[in-house]
Amino acid sequence: MDYDTYAPLASWFEATWLGGQMREQFWMFPMMETIHFIGLTFLFGSLLVIDMRVIGFGRFINMKAAMKYIPVAIIAFAVNLSTGIAFLCADPFRYFPNIAFQWKMGLIVIAGINALWFWFGEHKELCQLADGEDAPFRAKVIAALSIAIWVAVIIFGRMIPYVEY
Amino acid sequence: MGFLIWLEEGALGIFIRESLWGYPIVLSSHAVGMAIVMGVVVALNLRVLGYAKDISILAYDKLFFIGWIGFIINLISGLILFCNTPTTYFFQGSFQLKIGSIVVGGILMKVVMNSVRGDTSETLTKVASAACIACWFSAMITGRLMAYL
Repeated sequence: MDYDTYAPLASWFEATWLGGQMREQFWMFPMMETIHFIGLTFLFGSLLVIDMRVIGFGRFINMKAAMKYIPVAIIAFAVNLSTGIAFLCADPFRYFPNIAFQWKMGLIVIAGINALWFWFGEHKELCQLADGEDAPFRAKVIAALSIAIWVAVIIFGRMIPYVEY
Repeated sequence: MGFLIWLEEGALGIFIRESLWGYPIVLSSHAVGMAIVMGVVVALNLRVLGYAKDISILAYDKLFFIGWIGFIINLISGLILFCNTPTTYFFQGSFQLKIGSIVVGGILMKVVMNSVRGDTSETLTKVASAACIACWFSAMITGRLMAYL
């Protein structure tokens, strides 16, 4: 990304109170990282229950009850969005031009669109499934995409410190 | 100590320290494996603790199998990462706590799975389940802190 494009926004993030705290308190960064990991486990675990049920692995998980993991996933995502913004404020000039960070953000947007497609396109029909009943093929595609995209998000996130130049 | 030095100077140790992409790739695998293991542990124990009660706990069996896949990914990637500097890691408090947490967390997971199948009281099962989650989070937190302490 071109420096002039992201510099004004990056300067804004860097000047925030949160950014200052993240840089000045030595325990802030590790603490936020830890919370980011905890959020990740709740988010990914919830997705595993729902997506694996839809794919057909664990078909006897009650589909309607599995949807109760959606609010867990949303709260976990909110936690990770907040802690993620804290990292960004700490050192925006490092994150914005980082190719792994850019891919990660792009993939999260795609995962979001995929989730909306799931919610508005498939959710209602899926809730009617009996225990052990096979989900429609399109729903399985969405579920498989969801798992694949989030695995990629984790990988790109972990790669951020290693692709700096 | 001799064994740790042998490990550090061995082929895996050299690979993980010197290969350009070796470390980030193995580390990423460790993060994905963690998401799988911890994801299954959290989702399953949430149910044992009383969330999403309409799902039969026995229906989580297949998910539990996926958790094992994650565990094996992390056992392998963890062993490779350990070869990076075993002489340091082995004596690091956060590493020792991490391994201890995984052992106790694993045993507790087994206890919970046996309890939900047997006739253990619900209270006792929930206590084991809460302790199990706590152990696995302790493993994750101490693992993350290895980079700092």
